[in-house]
Amino acid sequence: MRYLFGNGAARLAPYLLITPGLLLYLLFALGPSLATVVFSFTDASGLPRLPIHWIGFDNYKEFLTLGAAARENLDALVRTLIFCVSVTVIQFSIGLFVAVLLNQGLRGTKFFRTLFFFPVILGVTIQGLMWTLFLYPIGGPLATVLDWFGLQSEFLGGQPREAFIWVMVVQIWANMGITMVIFLAGLQTIPDEVYEAARIDGAGRGQLFRRITWPLLTPSVNTNLVLTIIGSLQAWQLFYVLISYRPGTQVLGYVVYATAFGQTSGSTAGTTFRQGYGAAAGVVLFLIVLAIGITTQYLLRRREARLLG
Amino acid sequence: MRKLIVAVALIVAACGGGATSAPATPAASVPAGETAAPVATPALSGTVRVLIHQNPPFVAFMDAFNKTFETNHPGVKVEMEVVNANDLMAKTQSRLTAQDIDVIDIFAFDRGVQPFMKNVDAPGWQSLIDAGLLLDITDQAFVKNYDAASVADAGSYNGKVYAVNLGRVGYSGLYYNKDLFAANNVAVPTTWNELVAACATFKAANIGCITAGGKDGWPIFVGAYGLLGSYFPDQLGLVQGLWDGSIKYTDAKWLELLGKYKVYDGEMIEAGASGIAGDAAPGRFASGEVAMQAGGTWYAAAIDTLSPSFKWGYIPFPGSDNAADNQFMFGKYDQGWAIANDSPNKDAALAYLSEFSDPANYQAFVDAVGPIPTQPDAKLNTTLGAEIAPYLATFKIGFENYWLGPKGVGQYATPMFVNLFKPFGTFDDPAAAAAQAQADLQSGLDAAQ
Repeated sequence: MRYLFGNGAARLAPYLLITPGLLLYLLFALGPSLATVVFSFTDASGLPRLPIHWIGFDNYKEFLTLGAAARENLDALVRTLIFCVSVTVIQFSIGLFVAVLLNQGLRGTKFFRTLFFFPVILGVTIQGLMWTLFLYPIGGPLATVLDWFGLQSEFLGGQPREAFIWVMVVQIWANMGITMVIFLAGLQTIPDEVYEAARIDGAGRGQLFRRITWPLLTPSVNTNLVLTIIGSLQAWQLFYVLISYRPGTQVLGYVVYATAFGQTSGSTAGTTFRQGYGAAAGVVLFLIVLAIGITTQYLLRRREARLLG
Repeated sequence: MRKLIVAVALIVAACGGGATSAPATPAASVPAGETAAPVATPALSGTVRVLIHQNPPFVAFMDAFNKTFETNHPGVKVEMEVVNANDLMAKTQSRLTAQDIDVIDIFAFDRGVQPFMKNVDAPGWQSLIDAGLLLDITDQAFVKNYDAASVADAGSYNGKVYAVNLGRVGYSGLYYNKDLFAANNVAVPTTWNELVAACATFKAANIGCITAGGKDGWPIFVGAYGLLGSYFPDQLGLVQGLWDGSIKYTDAKWLELLGKYKVYDGEMIEAGASGIAGDAAPGRFASGEVAMQAGGTWYAAAIDTLSPSFKWGYIPFPGSDNAADNQFMFGKYDQGWAIANDSPNKDAALAYLSEFSDPANYQAFVDAVGPIPTQPDAKLNTTLGAEIAPYLATFKIGFENYWLGPKGVGQYATPMFVNLFKPFGTFDDPAAAAAQAQADLQSGLDAAQ
């Protein structure tokens, strides 16, 4: 048999070439993840030199079953799922719509493509600052417009439901550009001849989209769905920047961070270090993301096989 | 004999070269905002890394202090990081663990585990000490510059000193705009009913009644500590009562208090306050757009800096209908300094604290930042000092600094979250809020059995 790098010792070359990458992955990704799982079974504080004791599933029992705090953790899980579904559906739809528009070759396409992608490169802090200023309840732009109609809102500081919806809006605004770009790339791989042949056969716009665009976009659809679902399940940074740790708004990712680094009270006092407990919360979130991610991947692959053969 | 004399001379030389707390120049000759020159110390070098929390007058003072320290010690560079107060402990933990910090700004050692508490987590500062991350400074000369009570209550653990506390703050008061009160013919309120009437008058004149830095969350509920204090002057007793069940949120007294929280949230705090960052609240108040600001004494320096000609007063929050119940100031020991046990530059860190603790420099700090001093000879020679002087004799440590909830409590278990009520929270009915708070607390108390 012929090997790409030759025979003899040279057969080891591919393995040597991927070793640095593998080591980096073990060191910065897999290793810490495994350590997190191990820590989740301990009372680790995250501080050096304090003894660490193996406590089995106590952290998990506390997170999932102990008192009102456990109910709030489950509420955070429900909120996370609501956030994930809402953001995925809306971001996906808007991203696809904008990509289809931009693929028409209209004037200004490049400008609008840059404009829609711009929020993606800003980073969470700038995104949060922009929207905090836009939603400033005293004299801010949107507050001023509402005032013209005699209305007033606290926006991000108001009712938890309203604050939560605003975070969803910002999440969608911040990430829609990626969805759009992936769809745009997918649209541009569909040959024009397919559309021409369909038009010759009398297909209308709706039929072109349903029978040609949508099936042939399947790889892009799958990529976008997976990225958006997993990204929104793990999202918490915008909550941190926009509304801090407020009752009735927490998502599971923020609960994990706040629990591990002692920021649950919203006060300067009351900080405790419980990274073992935070690790357990992180593992719970990981298992949920894994279950949803694997299920999504399986269903999408089946669909892809059915549509594209 | 000769060897003994040499040995004694060496010991005296070593002691004389250490950190000292005596000022090089008299305090009266030190201009405000500048710091006194130190007594000669061995030449220091390297970098001193300092971590502090965001408080604009404090940051400005520290920038000036650091420049002076570098001038006094040419071989030393000071690198200072400023973080939001909410992030201070998390940042402290990571930098102490990474061993790349020397001096840390640390809040007072409060929320210790009381004998009646079960199934609670040790407070963060205790974990830092148990992990050996804070330097034992018991024998440092500069510690004696601070009054014994503050050293014992706010910086000690198991008989050793780990932090010096820089001052107390009151947090149960209301700043009020003297000109707006005079212009609208409103007397300074001494009772709850008078406060309600005052707010009605200001709102009728299209003037915001009370502002607070609602965006950061905690300024809204800290602003109501005076309300709590007027009903429960013995706040350690309140904590114990909630733990042992002798006080419940569903008691008539609590229902009355929660009713007032509802009015405070919905009718007194100005619309839009939830968008104001904590640091921006003094500016909002000093702009003259609102009549009052709820908050602690730490805002006073910022108000004076923003508008030196602005006339303001500070009164205990009148939460009771009986004026005599509203004469207490509640507060806490606030920020302090500690040194990392693994500090890469311990000598310079100790010299840094020693110079800061010099009475002249400490007075300059008090003048700039405005805490209630914890050095016996320092004076709060400011508008704030004059305003709170009548209440210092009855200063009480507040609820926030005793409360630890058992594991498993819900988020409404502590009455610190006064922003239960609309527009900040979801509750409209004090009875419903009381039931939720008691259920949240009880779930943790039951789990602790």
